This record gives sequence, C-alpha cells and structure tokens, in this order.
Amino acid sequence: MDIQRIASLSRLQLTEDEETMMAAQLPEILAYVGKLQEVDTSNVDVKAYLTTATNVLRVDEAFLVDDAHRKMLIDAFPEKTGDALKVPGVFE
Amino acid sequence: MVRFTLAKEIRDRILSGAVSAVDVTQAVLDDIHARDENLGAFLETFDIEALAAAKAIDDMRERGEELPLLAGVPVAIKDNMLCEGHIASAGAKILGEHRSAYTATAVQKLRDAGAIVIGRTNMDDAAMGSSTETSAWQKTYNPWNTEKIPGGSSGGSAVAVSAGFVPLALGSDTGGSIRQPAAMCGVVGVKPSYGRVSRYGLIALSSSLDQIGVFAHTVDDARLVLSVIEGRDDNDATSVDLLEPPTPYNLPPTTFANLRIGIPKEYFIDGIDPDVRARVEEAIDVMKKNGATIVDVSLPLTPYALPTYYIIQPAEASSNLGRYDGIRYGTRGDGGLNESYFDARGKGFGAEVKRRILLGTFILSAGYYDAYYKKALAVRTAIRKEFDDVFEQVDVIVSPTSPCVAWNMGEKFNDPIAMYLADIFTVSANIAGIAGVSVPCGFAHDLPVGLQFLAGAMHDEKALAAAAAYQAVTDWHTVTPST
Repeated sequence: MDIQRIASLSRLQLTEDEETMMAAQLPEILAYVGKLQEVDTSNVDVKAYLTTATNVLRVDEAFLVDDAHRKMLIDAFPEKTGDALKVPGVFE
Repeated sequence: MVRFTLAKEIRDRILSGAVSAVDVTQAVLDDIHARDENLGAFLETFDIEALAAAKAIDDMRERGEELPLLAGVPVAIKDNMLCEGHIASAGAKILGEHRSAYTATAVQKLRDAGAIVIGRTNMDDAAMGSSTETSAWQKTYNPWNTEKIPGGSSGGSAVAVSAGFVPLALGSDTGGSIRQPAAMCGVVGVKPSYGRVSRYGLIALSSSLDQIGVFAHTVDDARLVLSVIEGRDDNDATSVDLLEPPTPYNLPPTTFANLRIGIPKEYFIDGIDPDVRARVEEAIDVMKKNGATIVDVSLPLTPYALPTYYIIQPAEASSNLGRYDGIRYGTRGDGGLNESYFDARGKGFGAEVKRRILLGTFILSAGYYDAYYKKALAVRTAIRKEFDDVFEQVDVIVSPTSPCVAWNMGEKFNDPIAMYLADIFTVSANIAGIAGVSVPCGFAHDLPVGLQFLAGAMHDEKALAAAAAYQAVTDWHTVTPST
C-alpha cells in the first residue's frame, strides 16, 4: 500500500512519524478486514440501504435565510472580504 | 457516593411546585463547576441560556400553563450535535471554532418538550475511538475509577449521567458509541433502530450506521426522551415512520412472561473476560427465574461483523469528512488552494481520524472497491438477514455489551485493532440497523458490566421492555460511583 499516494488522494498532510505508523498499521488492519473473503456471498442480493424508504423526494426550492442566520454563516468564514468568502488562489 | 435523581422525579417535582426549574438548573451547573474538573465530561456548559430556559418553564407554571413532558429536566448533548450559536466541534480540532447556524432536530425536540440543555460533552475526535482519548480537547475519566477510560466515543455523555451531573444525555452510536461507554460507566445506553431518530444537525461520521440515542439511569427515563425525539423528520431523508406508536413512557412494569430471549453462542467466545461472562450469565439466570423463555440461537456471521464495520465505516467517513477543508468554515490551512487542504486537514485531524480517512480512501480507490467495499455490503446484507431470521424465533437477543470492563488510560491507544475489538458485540446492531440497549448488570474487577438487549429493526420497544423488566427485578442501576 502506497501511503503517500493514498494521503495525496485524501488531501491529508502526514508527519514523518504518522507516515511510518500508518505504513505499519494499515496493512495489519487490511489483513484483518480481509477475513471477509472467507464469506460466500454469491447468493446474496446486495442491498445498500437498511430501511424500506425508497425515492424520498422533496420540492427543490430555494428559501431565503433571515439576516441573523445569514450573519452566522458569514461569520463562520475563516477568511472574508466584506460579506464575501475569501479563498486561496487556485493558480500560484 | 454520587447521588442522582431520575428525570421523572425532577419533572414531577417541578410540576408539583416542590422545586423550581431555575433551582434545579443552578444546582446542576454548580455541581458540574465543582466536580467536573476531575472527570472532564463537559467541554462547555451553557449557563446563561440554560438558566433562561429554566426561568421560562417557571414562568409557564406561574401562569398556570400546562407544562411539557420534560419540563425543567437537565440534559447534556454530545459535541457533535448542532445547537444554534454554540460551538459544535465533534471533538475535532478542525471544527474547534465552528459555531452552529441551526439546531439539530433531536436537540430542538428536547427543548420544545421543556428540557434544559445544560452543555456539550466530550467525545472522541470526529467520533472515532472507543475510549474518548482521541478528543482534541481533553481526557474524560471513568467515575468508577479515574485511572480508567470511560469508553467511547460518547464518553462525556456517559460520564455526565454516571457521575450524577444530569439524569439524561444524548449520544450518537455508529458502532457502539452509546452502548459501550454506557456499559463501562454503569448506566443505561439506548441505540434506536436506524432511521428512528432524525440525524438532522448531527455531524455525520458514517451515514449508513450513525444513530442518535440516549443515556439515562433507567430504561423508563430513556423512554421518556425517546418518546420525544423519535419519528420521521422532513429534514432527514433517512428517518422513517414508526411502525408502532411512539415509545410509550408511562407503561406499567414489564414482566418476563411470554418473553423469548435468544442467547447467541457466537457472543460467548474465548476472548471475553471470564468475570464479564459470569455477570451476563447470572443476568440470564435472573431473567429465566422470573419467567423468561431462554432460547439458544446462532448468528454464524458474528465474527465478520467487525471486519465489515471497518470497511464500511472508514469508507463512509473518508467521504463525509471530505467536506472539512477549512474553506467555508473551520480552521483555514496555509498556502495556495490545494496546499491549504493538506495543511488544514493535516493539522485539524488526529491520528485515528487520519488512519480511517486513509483506510477509507484506499478501500474506495479504483481496483479495491469491489474486493473490499462491495464485499462488505454483501456481508452486511447477509448479517441483516441472519438477524431477521433469528427475530422470527425470539423477541430479543441478550449478550454482553463489551467483552471487557473499562481499561487503563493509554492502554490500547497505540494498538488500533485491540481498540476496535472492544466494539465486537456492539457493531452488529449498526451493521444490521437494529435496536440495542445496554443496562448495568453488576461488576467485574470493581468496574461496571453492561448487558445488551437487541431487537429487530423498528421493534425497539421489545428491547426496551425486556431491559426495563430486568431493571425491575435488579438494582445494579442504583449503585453509584464514589467520585
């Protein structure tokens, strides 16, 4: 398992110590979960969901938030210019 | 000796005017400020707001208005439930300054029913952990022995109830995160069936496994909360209509007559602490003597539940946690856009969260998806079927909640598989979406042991009734820690 590649796919910075630790532990965990290959599931009709709910729909409509809630969302921005969210540059 | 008062008693005393809601709330806050320093259950108390809510209850009473079901009853909430205007960090550094812009449905329903939200409780980092040790903020100590872990991930909520601070607390259970700490702290923990309680406003860990539930001293008190929070919510598409009327909170005492209890042999394996096993077997004897029919059942796929969990859970978590990038909220990383993702997530998550994000990303990556994720979904479907078949023969299944009692702080911290094994008897309920209840059933090594009742999906009342019947003939839940 290529830890650096997986960390890159995960957008996750690892310290050197973490990388060493993960390189040792993740294969052990994968070996443990690999036990599942012992189970014959050829006759299982796989279901991804546990409830009987199907096609839960709602009307797709925009609604306005009040000023107090709007302010809360804007206040949560880590960086902003006025009321606009400031994001780091994409091209540098 | 810790003293506790049941939610029902508090409510009745407020209803009758024997005490005011403000006095109750103030006493709870004073107690937390005096004693919690040594236990670390709470990350924050909402003093001003809690006292104002209590005052509103007292005002209602004064005006002669009818008081709601949980009028003046103090409740703690886990740090992964949104409460407008308050920080909800899910125990994670990346959300350390995140203030909620809205309130979770379960929390709002409690407030609407008159409950006083006292504060938020400590938990493992993004709810990943079985000991509350991975919290970015503080350690939480087991009230029975402060050298021991409280269990996790909802360790703070378990301790808040066990230590007698509050009669009720909300937690969330993805693989045992309510039942396991409830067992280790000697309180009742209820994980409702999947879909029974709305998760709107719960910070998602693993969407097909997460469920909000309750900590209490008695099953009756837990029922009081469940009757308020359960039911379909338009804001959570995975919440479902109840098959039966809501959980009744005022039932006469349940009996064991006509109750068929299944004992699965796969839950009484060699790895289990012999003293824990002995307590559970004694509990089964108690139920048998009181008229329950004990039936040996088999759930052969049980050994595969934990491996299934550690595929589905990291896969879903790696996806759910993708949104924490420090762009719109949370803590921003340094550098350009792409660099800032790496930096924010690298600094904002602890080792256990990183371990599972990496594992989940690997499992879902091209070439491995079928071998791991799809296989796990197939085994999951087979496990659910196995439970459905057993629940044709019995009303409830009884097992230990955890194979061991609370362990020493730090003991399993660097051994992930040893830590994961603590959840071996609880994950199946999440994998299958069924109901699970843990109640105290005695002590091993001077620490509490939990007895687990499982019932079929959306038949929560069966597990609750059986657990209540057990509490009616035992008094383990009345024994309290000395801290």
